[in-house]
Amino acid sequence: MKNNVIILGGGQAGIFAAREIRQNSSESNIKILGEENLLPYERPPLSKDFLLDKKNEEDLYFHSTDVLKNENIEFENISINKVDFENKKLFAKNDDVYSYDSLLISTGSENKKLSLDNNLKNDVYYLRNLEEAKKIKEIVSNKNKITIVGGGFIGLEIASSLSQLQKKVTVIEIGNQLMGRIIPKQIADIVQNTHIEHGNEIILNKQIEKITKKNGIYEILLNDNSLIETDFIIAGIGSTPSVKLFENTNLKLDNGIVTNQFCETSIKDVYAAGDVSNFYHPLYERNMRLESYQHAQNHGICAGKNIAGVKTEYTSIPWMWSDQFNLNLQLTGICDDYDEIIERGNDINNGVIHFFLKNKIIRGACGLGIAGKVGRDIRITSKLTEKNTIVDKQILADQNQKLNKLIQK
Amino acid sequence: MSEEIWIEVGSTDSIEEEDLIRFDHQDKTFCVYRLTDGFYATDGICTHEAVHLEDGLVMDDEIECPMHQGIFNIKSGEALSPPACEDLKTYPVKVDNDKIFIKID
Ligand SMILES: Cc1cc2nc3c(=O)[nH]c(=O)nc-3n(C[C@H](O)[C@H](O)[C@H](O)COP(=O)(O)OP(=O)(O)OC[C@H]3O[C@@H](n4cnc5c(N)ncnc54)[C@H](O)[C@@H]3O)c2cc1C
Ligand code: FES
Repeated sequence: MKNNVIILGGGQAGIFAAREIRQNSSESNIKILGEENLLPYERPPLSKDFLLDKKNEEDLYFHSTDVLKNENIEFENISINKVDFENKKLFAKNDDVYSYDSLLISTGSENKKLSLDNNLKNDVYYLRNLEEAKKIKEIVSNKNKITIVGGGFIGLEIASSLSQLQKKVTVIEIGNQLMGRIIPKQIADIVQNTHIEHGNEIILNKQIEKITKKNGIYEILLNDNSLIETDFIIAGIGSTPSVKLFENTNLKLDNGIVTNQFCETSIKDVYAAGDVSNFYHPLYERNMRLESYQHAQNHGICAGKNIAGVKTEYTSIPWMWSDQFNLNLQLTGICDDYDEIIERGNDINNGVIHFFLKNKIIRGACGLGIAGKVGRDIRITSKLTEKNTIVDKQILADQNQKLNKLIQK
Repeated sequence: MSEEIWIEVGSTDSIEEEDLIRFDHQDKTFCVYRLTDGFYATDGICTHEAVHLEDGLVMDDEIECPMHQGIFNIKSGEALSPPACEDLKTYPVKVDNDKIFIKID
């Protein structure tokens, strides 16, 4: 049967889904609709190597036009602004209509915005896409004092990059530690100290009261009445799933598009994957929404299989990384549902890992180390979690003992 | 034609099965692997962002980078999973009298 597949959103989940559909079905028509006039590209370097000029635009694309052509995957640069699920149609601003048999929604997420006076709306920058990264790179090249609002992953990665570009960076975080409570305080503190050692100022527990602009310089007033003078402001205060388009439809939404373990939404023949989906994870027996590279890819592939008729459950163990200075932080599984924490190592040169256990089974872990020092252990942790292995806590806590001893063959 | 240079890496029992060791020679770093069917060698540095693969995980015929989980086939060097997209260079390996040698060019 000829299946007309439309993929709404040309990011990571979208392109991996498209290629997987093609792998499993030579017949389907596959069309990606993307509002960015760019082939699907990787976002992680935007806050890191792209700002540092270690990677350029060409390095970011997942695939060339040739790959898409060879696999007969169409990419159209268009922004969709209305959907009619009943008649299986999508509408663009210019009144073009797109009909589908199966629809994958992979619209990703968008940055939360600071509430600011209207006259300052265009003065604060955010980072989500290549266009914004280019703009930030261009503007910071002739600025010195830069303030980052929000001490989450993206804000801190930008702070790390700008510090390496010799900028004077201040990070303002509303919480009492960096990167939110999901990261163990001890690990967040090591990251914080690394920023400070590189000359970045980190301000915790403070909120912005007011921003004013005088002669091209900004004054940021904090809630303790302190004042920060800065040349440029970037905010990274979290993101929300891109679902505005579906708000007045029957599509079930709850912190994103609700999907089951097969990437199916509440509407027949409509699937969702990547940042936008709040999916059911059979191992954890609950729904979750992730914003991570590995998830976008694996979830896209899983959606592609299901769309092509190969029924496949999504069981991938969550995993993400953040690179700041020479540190590599990795998170696997879930770190908010545990009855015990076990620590392994206390020196970032060999890696520090906190394991989160429930009923003696690892549910998740957070690790920090120089370059790839925690990678192998975190990866083995994902395998142990996946297999629900009851673990020997002494081995977990002893860095001299290899973790692969715990894997039952 | 370049001259054949075989460099001694160490003894065969210095690597556990399904594992690897790092081997530095002059200014280059290699990884030497012991798989179920023999010994293999690749460049020691990931083609993605220059991290040492010695901290990675060997699974069957694959090495997974410890930094961003890019995956390479150990025998062919092929980059199998993003963010790794550039292949890893491989080197011939021979075993002589329980000693491992790799041929570098
Ligand atoms: C700066 C930055 C750094 C990151 N760093 C890391 C990292 O170090 N490690 C990690 O694990 N993850 C990282 N991530 C997260 C990771 O990149 C995302 O989770 C991943 O890109 C999500 O893929 P996606 O396909 O769901 O969405 P996206 O890749 O965001 O793609 C969604 C696409 O849909 C388009 N779209 C939306 N609405 C419409 C519409 N109505 N019509 C047409 N097109 C539409 C959007 O414009 C976008 O192009 C980072 C993200 C950012 C922004
Ligand atoms: S450094 Fe190896 S995958 Fe990125």
